[in-house]
Amino acid sequence: MNELSRAQIRDLMAQVLKNQDKELPADDAAQLREIGFRSLDFSELALRVEDETGEELNFDAPGLRRIATVGDVLDFLVELQHQ
Amino acid sequence: MTVATSRHLTPASPEPAGVDNRLVVGGAALTWRSLPTPTLPDPVAVLAHSAVHALTAARQHAVHGTELLLSTASRVDAAMRTELLAAGFTVSVLDDDGVHPSAPARPRAAEPGRLWLLTSGSTGRPKRVGHTLDTLTTVRADQPDRTWLCPYAPGTYAWWQVVTLSLTQPGQHLVVVEPDELDDWPTVAATQGVDAASGTPTFWRRTLYRDAEALARVPLRQITLGGEPVDQAILDQLREVFPTARISWIYASSEVGASIVVHDGRAGFPVDWLDRETPGRPTLSVRDDELVVTSPYHGAGLAGPIRTGDRVQVLDGRVLITGRLDSDEINVGGSKVSAGLVRGVLTGHPAVAWARVTGRRAPVLGRMVVAEVVLAAADPSGADTGVPDEAALVRWCADRLPEHAVPRRIRVLTDIPVKETLKSDV
Repeated sequence: MNELSRAQIRDLMAQVLKNQDKELPADDAAQLREIGFRSLDFSELALRVEDETGEELNFDAPGLRRIATVGDVLDFLVELQHQ
Repeated sequence: MTVATSRHLTPASPEPAGVDNRLVVGGAALTWRSLPTPTLPDPVAVLAHSAVHALTAARQHAVHGTELLLSTASRVDAAMRTELLAAGFTVSVLDDDGVHPSAPARPRAAEPGRLWLLTSGSTGRPKRVGHTLDTLTTVRADQPDRTWLCPYAPGTYAWWQVVTLSLTQPGQHLVVVEPDELDDWPTVAATQGVDAASGTPTFWRRTLYRDAEALARVPLRQITLGGEPVDQAILDQLREVFPTARISWIYASSEVGASIVVHDGRAGFPVDWLDRETPGRPTLSVRDDELVVTSPYHGAGLAGPIRTGDRVQVLDGRVLITGRLDSDEINVGGSKVSAGLVRGVLTGHPAVAWARVTGRRAPVLGRMVVAEVVLAAADPSGADTGVPDEAALVRWCADRLPEHAVPRRIRVLTDIPVKETLKSDV
């Protein structure tokens, strides 16, 4: 299975923000609210991961969780690839 | 196989008024009158082998009133064939060798004068809709002499529109292009002096995309668009190539007939046309974002207000038809987005020749707006108009649309997809 590493997902996340002239901080603890990464951006990132791997993510699999930091996003998408 | 001619039959009605109009098919110059007159079973479903056979069946119907469903072999699959046989039609291939009939499962008496259309089936199985030559004839006022291009698949509503015009009005000539000539139609049309052409927006976009210079050499005075949502960008692009032509768009379907005709060069129609009742004319209304038409040109068995399944949106005093209700609306996290309006923004970009906008499954929001585009060929003058990348197109949309309506993923295709109906399923 084609799987993206945490670092590769981080690159895609930086791309999503760069297209809006925003920057992704190096710190995984950075708050999404502060860097302006919102649900539309999160959805776009998920689609980019799908397009890179050629596999559909199973969005329904994991339960609800709190996604507040850059690290939360990366963890979540790494985990989704295993579902 | 049966081959027969109708020389010994007395025509049910006199030859149609346009019988001496010129027909150009596959480069050969004919008239309606010069077409062969095979005897057809009645009722019959004719699968025309090529354009000339379709015209032959239409003329035969005009003279004899044979109950006719006209289509092509590629549009009638095995299941539809069985359905037609069960409904009492003799299914007949019509080619240069004559009529090749398959007998119906349950023969029945014919309904004289009845014409059947198969809907395009873009929303499921094709349905049969009953018409007559009269209900299909929507242009009745005298027209200036024109030589019309007919690029449509035989037997479709749009095909019948052009064909009935030529059958019923002297001076309305036809140049028919076969599917394999379609990409090169401007050359054929320029040679034959075509000055009027009717096509889908996809047809016009493909033509502009492939060879706008060849198109500019066609002496068009009348340009008609229909069959798909018509956006401002395609109207403007055609206006640029043909500054003095009349550019019209038509809203028509097998079910409700031709209901809206707009000549002012703008997308949509004026909002004050809504709910206006004029005897003999269709009445247009909007219910829950859906276009509703009450028309004297409805198909048989349809009466009163017909829900068209087409989604409309009122913007700046114009009623825009944005697409099919079941596919136009994209729900992005509870916010409704019209795919047609987003498509209009994309095709408004100078470097975009064609666009398709859809909803794609996404986390958190349920769906997200995504798009596919075909970019226009590089400017032949060598001017650097810049080829936009995905990010540039996203920014273009972001400047013009609410945030949730901006397509975040935009894929670039190399050619404009098109189906036999000349539509793109956009």
